[in-house]
Amino acid sequence: MRRRGFLAAAVSAPLVALAGCGGGDPEVKNGVVTLRFQSLAYQKTTVAAVKKIVADWNKANPKIQIAYQQGNWDGVHDQLVTQFSGGTAPTIIHDEAADIAGFAEQGFLADLGPHLSADVTGNVPKGIMDTVSSGGHTYAAPTLLQSYVVFANVDLLRKQGVAVPSGASLTWDALAAAAKQATKNGVFGLGWGLKQPTATVMSLALNFGGKFFGGTGHEATISVGDAEKQVPRRIHDMAYLDKSISPVTLTQSGTDILPGFYAGKYAMIVAGSYVAQQITEEAPKTFNWKVLPALSGTSTAQAANPQTLSVSATSKHVTEATQFIDFFMQAHNLAAVGQGDWLIPTTAPARAAIQQATGGKSGWTETLAGAGGLTKAPFQSVTNYPRWKDEVATPAFQKYLADKLSLDQLATQLADGWKTANQ
Amino acid sequence: MNRTPVAGRIGQYVALAAYVVFLVFPLLWLLSVSLKSPADLATLPAQLLPRGLFFGNYQEIASKQGLLESAWNSTLVAVGTMLLTIAVSLPAAYALGRFRTFLGPAATIWILVSQVFPVILIAIPLFMIVRGLGLLNTLPGLILVYLVWTLPFALWMLRGYVSALPVDLEEAAACDGASRPRILVSVVLPLLRPGIIATAMFAFISSWNEFFFALVLLKGDTTTLPIALAQFVGSEGKVAFGPLAAASVLATLPSLVIFAIVQRRLTSGLLAGAVKG
Repeated sequence: MRRRGFLAAAVSAPLVALAGCGGGDPEVKNGVVTLRFQSLAYQKTTVAAVKKIVADWNKANPKIQIAYQQGNWDGVHDQLVTQFSGGTAPTIIHDEAADIAGFAEQGFLADLGPHLSADVTGNVPKGIMDTVSSGGHTYAAPTLLQSYVVFANVDLLRKQGVAVPSGASLTWDALAAAAKQATKNGVFGLGWGLKQPTATVMSLALNFGGKFFGGTGHEATISVGDAEKQVPRRIHDMAYLDKSISPVTLTQSGTDILPGFYAGKYAMIVAGSYVAQQITEEAPKTFNWKVLPALSGTSTAQAANPQTLSVSATSKHVTEATQFIDFFMQAHNLAAVGQGDWLIPTTAPARAAIQQATGGKSGWTETLAGAGGLTKAPFQSVTNYPRWKDEVATPAFQKYLADKLSLDQLATQLADGWKTANQ
Repeated sequence: MNRTPVAGRIGQYVALAAYVVFLVFPLLWLLSVSLKSPADLATLPAQLLPRGLFFGNYQEIASKQGLLESAWNSTLVAVGTMLLTIAVSLPAAYALGRFRTFLGPAATIWILVSQVFPVILIAIPLFMIVRGLGLLNTLPGLILVYLVWTLPFALWMLRGYVSALPVDLEEAAACDGASRPRILVSVVLPLLRPGIIATAMFAFISSWNEFFFALVLLKGDTTTLPIALAQFVGSEGKVAFGPLAAASVLATLPSLVIFAIVQRRLTSGLLAGAVKG
């Protein structure tokens, strides 16, 4: 749950100046610069990895100390809205690209472009750097991200007489065919947790070049044409024509469907790549699973929404903070954090380090390969997208996936709803 | 004298037992989840009882830094808010309930209006005030905010209790020569006890469970339990159900203990009021 405090942000704008009125430099004491770093690391292994990075840095840099501060994902947006307004935001901020775009637009984040090393910017694909760039400025370093992948119960697929898909990519037609073939004897070919369908649809729409939005900011326009209809139509067809998707799963969250997957109710599921961790930890030892090749339509493109490290614009030590971010982004550090969270590092050397450390097991080879298709989606440049997503798109997609709307009605609701949401 | 037939009495007990089971079920489920292993949690169909007792979730939260400190902070904040809320709202509610002035309706409307503001709207001004007072990242600062947050509704609740007290009782005491302070202490306060306890419980629960203000006003080792519990929820909707349930069980215990103590007094207070009324 994440409430967007637009109103609060609007109220806060005049307060930003006030926040900067304090005297002295609170980040410097006895010649030592101390920078607060709020990390949202969640898994025990990731917390340990991040703390080790901080400890390593502090040991090597006695004059620039990083103070680790544990935050959490729940409510971080509203927390930052308030802290930016009050001038007490941490110096180094961990968040996700979609969430900090508004902060960057309001000038709360420093431009890291002149400070980030070429090692970092050169190792992150342009499509991913674009998610944290605007108007020629780079307001964050992208660290880790996820993609949507297909997990298969290998033994069950074979039992249902379906060859386990392989190759460089898996077309939507091939997925539908495999799901249909696997649907028999009380088993569904596919389970898909689409309780909150918008993020999934908007991301996978890029498989078919579906953009939904043109333009940026408040001037963005919407278009729901054939390309944009492909993903919802295909999911709907599998659920209601082929009956190869379990309709119950369409109302569940991405991780709610895992017990049914382990129990053999669905031969395949579509979920975030990070789900591999839960499968590894929870599934019965005999559960034989794998990650299938990346889904593809006309391409394997998906929207990238990386986790990010950014720096508060009020800090007088952007250079020092960025030096730490550079250190954080070094391959072995980023690989340790990514491996702990089962998320894909944004830099090629860190991905190579994970591949080497894991031997590509537990789906890592396919998951890491999927990073190649991740890029900035048009909706990530649209100011009122979050409002449209919550108020218009999610209920409309939910109704369509519940078979209560036609595809044309869905398109109309999405387009008409944008006029209201973008007022 | 009417006697309830045996069948009717049994029916009452059965209905009562069913109701108790209905109320207790979430707590039992929470306890059960806290004792399940990850594999047990992922088993379908979900079982009410764990297949074996798994204490790993409790071990995990014990190793989680700051959880016990957060629980202690929450207790201090909730008790502090509760006491302050009663101290401030009780005389105000009495004044609103008893004295008819032009300010009464205006104050009542203001109380109602104050409840419709979205939290996010008042968060930033409150944040600035608390920072200005030098109380940022302190428990007194959070208590002050919770006092502001709970006061309108507490006042509204207590005002209702005051209005429900027959003024005749106070007049009778006055006729017997009791002074106003004596009337307040010996007549009004005992009759208001159920209302005071109900309001205190409201203030305690509100501050015990509150998440957002604690999130923005506190950091690091001064954090409260709801914030500590949120650390079991990760990005992309990932939730560590086992440890979260274990931590929630521990988080529920102080509330249960306080309720167990207060509940008895709430009942006796009600009876006392009924007899005198």
